[in-house]
Amino acid sequence: MINAATLLTIVLIAGVTYLTRIGGYVVLRNRTLSARAAAVMEAAPGCVLISVIAPAFVSRNPADLLALAITFVAATRLSMLPTVLIGVASAGLLRHLIG
Amino acid sequence: MSISQAVEAAGDGSGSEFRRGVTSCAPVLFGTIPYALVLGAQATQKGLSTVELSMMTGLNFAGGSEFAAIQLWTSPPHIVLIVAITFLVNSRHLLMGAALAPFLRDLPRRKVFPALFFLCDESWALGLADARQRAAAGITPAFSPRYYMGAALAMYLTWVGFTTLGAVLGPMLGHVETFGFDMAFPAVFLVLMRGMWTSMAAARPWLVSLVVAALFYLFVPGAWYVAAGAVSGLIAAWLMAGDA
Repeated sequence: MINAATLLTIVLIAGVTYLTRIGGYVVLRNRTLSARAAAVMEAAPGCVLISVIAPAFVSRNPADLLALAITFVAATRLSMLPTVLIGVASAGLLRHLIG
Repeated sequence: MSISQAVEAAGDGSGSEFRRGVTSCAPVLFGTIPYALVLGAQATQKGLSTVELSMMTGLNFAGGSEFAAIQLWTSPPHIVLIVAITFLVNSRHLLMGAALAPFLRDLPRRKVFPALFFLCDESWALGLADARQRAAAGITPAFSPRYYMGAALAMYLTWVGFTTLGAVLGPMLGHVETFGFDMAFPAVFLVLMRGMWTSMAAARPWLVSLVVAALFYLFVPGAWYVAAGAVSGLIAAWLMAGDA
């Protein structure tokens, strides 16, 4: 049920995440960040998220690319739930139709 | 009178403050449920057991990083990569904690440290907005710990409960690609990024990350595309901050 490598990974990510939660309070509460450091910190989560989904942008399947374009437009206008539904439905349908 | 007594005396009854927190979080909870179900279902497809998935969402409790971890999950997992990505995705907590810190000054650390375990985008946004409103209205203390904990615990229980349910139901759904469920990842990530959007200029590092990650994905074997994309975006942010 519980694999050792999986358990280790979970404990480590949980520890790292908790450090990010208390880190700002402990370290930064009496300091001001330099403009550059603040810019990097602000950009970081988006840089990671877009990198994780980058393979979807260079898919060889036209159905996937079209579905991603639809999802992209939905994400700029709609909230989480409708965007996810549109993304899933368009990918499912287009793969079925275009293959 | 101790500080915690002062905090409790300032609220109009601690139970109602907690309820106020849960209520204000309710709309967000409904949006979270499908997202939690998808994560749970995807995790089982990557070979995690239900117990392992529940441990991950219960101990880590940071959805964006869990989606990233599951997306990158292999058997056995690439531990260094996943831990590094978790740190990068969650590094925003550092800024969030720093923004909240002035309002936590009068609270004892033994209360702040457990409360910060439940810091997430939603509990932070609600807690900080509430504290700013109360400060503007002249209510002291501005930060209501029970309001924050109401929102945070509602979020926590929903997240852990529904990711677990997703893991239980996952095997019944079959292969997610067939139905397009895998498109939920880009959908979720793109909406999260829309929420972080401030300006075209501030988003330029994201474009750098996208291009570099895509090139690495196409031409370099392994999962290095995430690290390469993230790091190049951070370097771009560092360099671009100079001419801003």
